[in-house]
Amino acid sequence: MPDILELQHISKIFDGKKVIDDLNLTIGKNEFITLLGPSGCGKSTLLRIIGGFVRPDSGRVLFNGQDITDLPPEKRSLHTVFQKYSLFPHYDVADNIAFGLRIKRKSREYIQEKVDYALKLVNMEAFAHKKPHLLSGGQQQRVAIARAIVNEPEVLLLDEPLGALDLKLRQEMQRELMRIKREVGITFVYVTHDQGEALTMSDRIIVMNQGIIQQMGDPKSIYDEPQNAFVADFIGESNIIDGIMRRDCLVEIAGAPVPCVDTGFDKDEPVDVVIRPEDLTIVAPEEGFVSGRATDVTYEGAYYDIRVQSDGFEWKIQSVNPVMCGSMIGLSILPDNIQIMHKPRSSDEEVSPKDE
Amino acid sequence: MSGLTKRFKWLATPYLLWSVGFTVIPLIVIVRYALTDDTGAFTLSNITAIADPIHARAFLFSLEIALGCTLICILLAYPLVMAFRRLRLSRGKFMMFVLILPMWMNFILRLLAWQMLLSSNGIINNLLMRLGLSPLKIANTWAAVMIGVVYEYLPFVVLPIYNAVMDIDKGVIEAAKDLGAGSMRTFWRVIFPLSMPGLKSGITMVFVPSMTSFVIADLLGGGKLQLIGNVIEQEFTHSMNWHLGSGLSVALMVFVLASMALTVKSENNVEEDRKNWEES
Repeated sequence: MPDILELQHISKIFDGKKVIDDLNLTIGKNEFITLLGPSGCGKSTLLRIIGGFVRPDSGRVLFNGQDITDLPPEKRSLHTVFQKYSLFPHYDVADNIAFGLRIKRKSREYIQEKVDYALKLVNMEAFAHKKPHLLSGGQQQRVAIARAIVNEPEVLLLDEPLGALDLKLRQEMQRELMRIKREVGITFVYVTHDQGEALTMSDRIIVMNQGIIQQMGDPKSIYDEPQNAFVADFIGESNIIDGIMRRDCLVEIAGAPVPCVDTGFDKDEPVDVVIRPEDLTIVAPEEGFVSGRATDVTYEGAYYDIRVQSDGFEWKIQSVNPVMCGSMIGLSILPDNIQIMHKPRSSDEEVSPKDE
Repeated sequence: MSGLTKRFKWLATPYLLWSVGFTVIPLIVIVRYALTDDTGAFTLSNITAIADPIHARAFLFSLEIALGCTLICILLAYPLVMAFRRLRLSRGKFMMFVLILPMWMNFILRLLAWQMLLSSNGIINNLLMRLGLSPLKIANTWAAVMIGVVYEYLPFVVLPIYNAVMDIDKGVIEAAKDLGAGSMRTFWRVIFPLSMPGLKSGITMVFVPSMTSFVIADLLGGGKLQLIGNVIEQEFTHSMNWHLGSGLSVALMVFVLASMALTVKSENNVEEDRKNWEES
C-alpha cells in the first residue's frame, strides 16, 4: 500500500499542556485507519491538524509526499465529516451536497450528476429538497458524508461522526460507512472513543493516550495482544493482575505457576498479566490455577457476567453457563489466552478511567 | 390564561396608562387634526399635501437620506463585525463596548461636536490646512447630514449583525472552508445569508428613525436642507398650522408602517425557519 499521508514529529501544546507529543504516523492509500482513545487523548486535535484547522507547534504533514503543513483547510484536498454534522442550515440537502462542487465552479450537469450519485450512495434520494432541520440525526450525518464524498477527496477525515447517534442507528451507520468506503475506495481516517466501533470497522487502529501512540495494529492484534495496561483496559474488558515471570512460558499468578506462551522477559521480572473475561473457564475449585467465591452473577443476554473474589482480587468472567452466587469455583485458562506485559514505564501507559 | 398571570395583570396598569396618555390619545388627536381644516370641516387635503412639490421634495430627500444611511451603515457594519469576529470573545465584547460608548452621551451634544468638527473653520478643515490641503466644504451640506445620521445609527446596525454572526455555529464556517471556500466565498455563501435576521432588525432600527429625524438636519444641515421631519416641525412651531403638520405626519406614518410591515413580515419567515432549526 503506497503512503498517502505522513505525519512527522507532530507536537501541539494547548494552554501549557502537551496534547500531542512528537507523534509519527504514516497512513496508506485506501486504508481505514482509526484513531482511538479516551477524550482528551489528542485524537481529535490530530485529525484537525490533518484537516488544516489546527497548526502543529512542530512537525510536518505530508500529503502524497508534498508538505501541506502550512496550507489552510480550503487548499487541501481532504474533506472532513464533523461530529455535529455542521450542515448549512440555509441550504437544502442537494445544495448542501453541491456546495463544494459549486465552489470549484463545475458545470451544472456535472454537479447534478454527482449530487444524484451522492444522494443515492447514502440513501437520501427522497430528501434532496428538504432543509437540514427537518432531518433526523442519522439523516443529517448521511448528508454530511455525501457532502464530503461528492468532492472525491483522496482522504476523508471523520471526527466521531456517529457519536451523537443512538446505539442501533450507530451500528447501522457503521455498516453503511464500510459499504461506502468499499464503494468509493478512498482513505478513511476515523476518530472515535468507542472501541467497539474501532474494532468493527478499521483496517488499522491507532490507540492514543496523552498525546502518544500507545499501540497500532489491526483490530485483532490490538485486542488479543495489548502491549500495555492502558490498551488492555481501554480495549474491551480485561483482568489485569500482577504476576512474576519465572522463566520463558511460565508466569506466577497469585502464587500459582501458570503456563503461557510469552518469552523474552527477565527471570523473575514483575509483569502485568492480561486475561480477557471470556477466556476464563469455570472448573471445580481444586482444578483451577486460582479459586474463589462467586460474588455477583449478572445475566447479560449472550452470557453471564460473573465476579469472583480471590485473595483480594476481583476476577471478571464471561461464561455462557451460570454459577450459583456464593459458590466456590476454580478458574482455568489456556496458555494461548494469557497476555504478558512489561510494567508501565510512564503514566500514559497506565490504566485510565474510561469516559463512558 | 392561568390564575397567576391574571392576578399580576394589574402590574401592567402604569404602562397602560402611559401608553394611552402619551401614545394613543395624541395619535387620535393628530389624526383628528389631520382630517379637519380650520373650520373643523372634514378634508383630506392635509394628507394629500404630501404630494405638493415642496413637501414631496422634502419627503424624497428624507427617503434618500434614510436609504443612503441604511446602506452605508450596512457597508460599514459587515467589515467591522467580521473583524470583531476574529477577536477573542472578551476582546470582541470590549470593541462592542467602545462602539456603544458614545451612545451614553447626550444626542444633541454629540451633534454639536460634529458641528465643531465639520464647520468651515472647524477642526477637520484646520487639520487639512495645516497639512497644506484645501479645506472641505462639508458643513450645511447633504454630506454633513449623511455623516450625522450614519454616526448616530451605526451601532444599531452593528449590534444585531454582530449578534447574528456570533450565533453562527463555528462548525458550519469550518465546513465551508473544509469544502474549499476561501474567506470571501465563505462570507457570501454562508455568513451573510445566515446573518439575515440580524441584518433585517438592523434595517428596521435605522431606516425608520433616519427617515423621520429632523434634529440632525437642523444642526448639521444649517436649516437649509429640509427633511420631511423639518417640514412637519416647522408647520407645528413656526407656521402654527397644526392641521397641515398632522396631515403630513399621518402620511409619513402610513409610509413608515407599510415599510415596517414588509420588513417584519420577511423577518417572521426567517424567525420561523430559525425556530424550526433550533427545535430540531
